[in-house]
Amino acid sequence: MPLSSLKPKMRPHSSLKQEFLKKWIMGLQRCSFSKKNMSILERKKAIKFSADIAMASARNGTTCWSRSLISNASKEGSDIHVVEQILGSESDRPAVENKVPTRRASVCKKIVKRSCRIRRRRRRRKCVASAPSSIAKHLVRKRREVLKSLIPGGEFMNEICLIEETLDYITSLRVQVDVMRSLASASVRASE
Amino acid sequence: MSSRRSRQSSAGVSRISDDQIIELVSKLRQLLPEIRDRRSDKVSASKVLQETCNYIRSLHREVDDLSERLSQLLATIDADSAEAAIIRSLIM
Repeated sequence: MPLSSLKPKMRPHSSLKQEFLKKWIMGLQRCSFSKKNMSILERKKAIKFSADIAMASARNGTTCWSRSLISNASKEGSDIHVVEQILGSESDRPAVENKVPTRRASVCKKIVKRSCRIRRRRRRRKCVASAPSSIAKHLVRKRREVLKSLIPGGEFMNEICLIEETLDYITSLRVQVDVMRSLASASVRASE
Repeated sequence: MSSRRSRQSSAGVSRISDDQIIELVSKLRQLLPEIRDRRSDKVSASKVLQETCNYIRSLHREVDDLSERLSQLLATIDADSAEAAIIRSLIM
């Protein structure tokens, strides 16, 4: 699916927030917070981990960065049940992701690579065969490398893909921050 | 990756069109808080990329701080208020 057809800004923000919140809470419940002897650091890691998986999963496999994030998380192995809990709720995930969890990481990585390759091939066919533009040349290599290191799966992307993924990633990050902030202020009010 | 691209095009540079890049960069500018407020059309692509990286890093930091804060808040959420009960039942 070409990313340009998604137009993240046109998608109602509130539904994305709700998706994220729903999945995040699911993940948090799975982290068994009721264990009172969980250290602050452990709990923080669990919160952040659930938040990241929820953010990526809210994209339902439609973006490269979200698939990379999930496949990287699946590799770590420790909280795979949280990943399964959150991903299991996705309604229209491609069938291949429903396979056995131990193969999930390699499957996800294949999907990531394949989809980026396909997108790159599509771009090349669509591209105008004009002379190389100065702006394209001047997307400074160094800055591009930094950006690639910040976006999950960035190292597989070409310039167009990278910028589109960045747009979506930033939108999702903002949703994540907004929801987390709301929960934090609600918790503060609740404990007063 | 770039070596694959240069094999395709004779000049050794990407064949992506100017207009596509301009369009995407302008969309990126809309998202960046600092550049959006400046109302200048003359922001270079390099500057946009730099601001983008800074913005993403600051968002990451904020997520990290919020996670820490939530971790402390949720640890101590023992109060008897109605909201506390709701949050407890949602998350724990």
